[in-house]
Amino acid sequence: MTLAILCRRAFSDLRQDFCAQLITTMVVSLSILIFAFFTLLYFNLQYFVDRFGTELGLTIFLTKDTPKDRIPSLHQKLIGLSEVEKVTYISSEEAFRRLEHFLKNEKDVLEGVDPQFLPPSFEIQINRAMFQLNRIRQLAGEIDKWPEVSKVQFGQEWIDRLYVFSGLVRTIVAITGILLLFTAAFVVTNTIKLTVYARQEELEIMRLVGATNMFIQGPFLVEAFLQGLLGSSLALGIVLGGYRFLQGFEAKSELFRGVSICFIPWHYTVAIIASSVLLCVIGTALAMRRFLRL
Amino acid sequence: MISLESSIIRFKDVFKKYSPDNIIFSGIDLEIEKGEFVFLTGPSGVGKSTMLRILFCAERPTSGEIWVDGVALSSLSNAQVPYLRRKIGVIFQDFKLLSNRTIFDNVALSLEVIGLGKKQAEQRVMQVLEGVGLTGKMSHYPLRLSGGEQQRVAIARAVVNRPSIILADEPTGNLDLQRTEEVMMLMEELNARGATIIFATHDERLFENTHRRVLRCLNGKIRT
Repeated sequence: MTLAILCRRAFSDLRQDFCAQLITTMVVSLSILIFAFFTLLYFNLQYFVDRFGTELGLTIFLTKDTPKDRIPSLHQKLIGLSEVEKVTYISSEEAFRRLEHFLKNEKDVLEGVDPQFLPPSFEIQINRAMFQLNRIRQLAGEIDKWPEVSKVQFGQEWIDRLYVFSGLVRTIVAITGILLLFTAAFVVTNTIKLTVYARQEELEIMRLVGATNMFIQGPFLVEAFLQGLLGSSLALGIVLGGYRFLQGFEAKSELFRGVSICFIPWHYTVAIIASSVLLCVIGTALAMRRFLRL
Repeated sequence: MISLESSIIRFKDVFKKYSPDNIIFSGIDLEIEKGEFVFLTGPSGVGKSTMLRILFCAERPTSGEIWVDGVALSSLSNAQVPYLRRKIGVIFQDFKLLSNRTIFDNVALSLEVIGLGKKQAEQRVMQVLEGVGLTGKMSHYPLRLSGGEQQRVAIARAVVNRPSIILADEPTGNLDLQRTEEVMMLMEELNARGATIIFATHDERLFENTHRRVLRCLNGKIRT
């Protein structure tokens, strides 16, 4: 049996049994939609944690007696580190100006205070691709040993708490996702089983007139392939639509400004589609097994 | 006496049991000659259908050997069974037609399965439908036909790929006298063209005035 005959028979079956095929595709689509939603949630949580970590950065306070001519060489040393994305020097004067700005109407309290009382510092932005909490902690420890450095500060406590919280949420999301995947697999295979059972008589007659297993099974497998492909593509399309809507909302709304979201990485979307196709094809093959015996 | 060379079906010491107290056949020896028309009879539940099901490999015997057209059934793997079935046409009491396909498509199914070209298949289906007198109804669906017509479609489907053996399991069981006669005439015609026919029925009227061999199933044995 050629592929052309196989596809012709599959499409003819699809036309004849359109409602049942549509229902199966919708069941696949809904199951994948719920799973894809949780996957999206998972990736956004991870994205948020990583982004938050890099945005916190490091602040390196220098000793007050650090000569000004050492600043460029320290700047070079810092920018040369692979974990560092950007280095900004904050002089004592600049720090003083910032403090004044922060205090606004209360800045009078600084009257008569020498701007040099604040130590100069470097603000460091961490390279997002290199961000790893342990590595940053190690780096802070190394910089802290430099003779010109009085203190290295970063939101370690915040990051630690965030990591514990996000780890917990990620575990919950991952477990829920896996459970949903199994539920989806169960629902999809049972829906397929019902479709196969509904055509039990047809299978029996085909066997009777000498059809080979491939002849009987072939169109069902092509149909399952299409159901998996269309169902999962539709589900991911809906999730993508929702993502685009939120993106637009994020740009317009004051409340969401600065909160950026990400979509499921492309290789994961391909994996979801492939898994859905595989699930439908294997489900169909298993459901048909008993009809392909003698 | 039938010679081994001319026999198309041969049973040797065949046993079939579903459980120790449900024995259908206990040591059957039987030979059916090429081109023969035999009636298989006996009360309900005696194993007429089981014998036919064993012949087209829907079931396997518990022990013993069966040869169909020179092939030992025990040597056939499951993957080879469809190729044996293409040599056998099967007709059932309940017709077993696909209600969502036209008469033409129902008959063409047997040819589609063996991969015959579309044009050739079309010609063959038309020819067979003409033979059973249903040319005018080929675009109808089975449920729009009478019982007799549906059985004629089932016969057309069974013979369209020119099988050498036809197994008929109570094909007239659901038909009135006139339709029964029509079916019997068709079966005679097919036999005259060379097909070997095993006709299972419990209706003794069908063979009471015939010269055909009658095989009687009783207590796990077959008597001629």
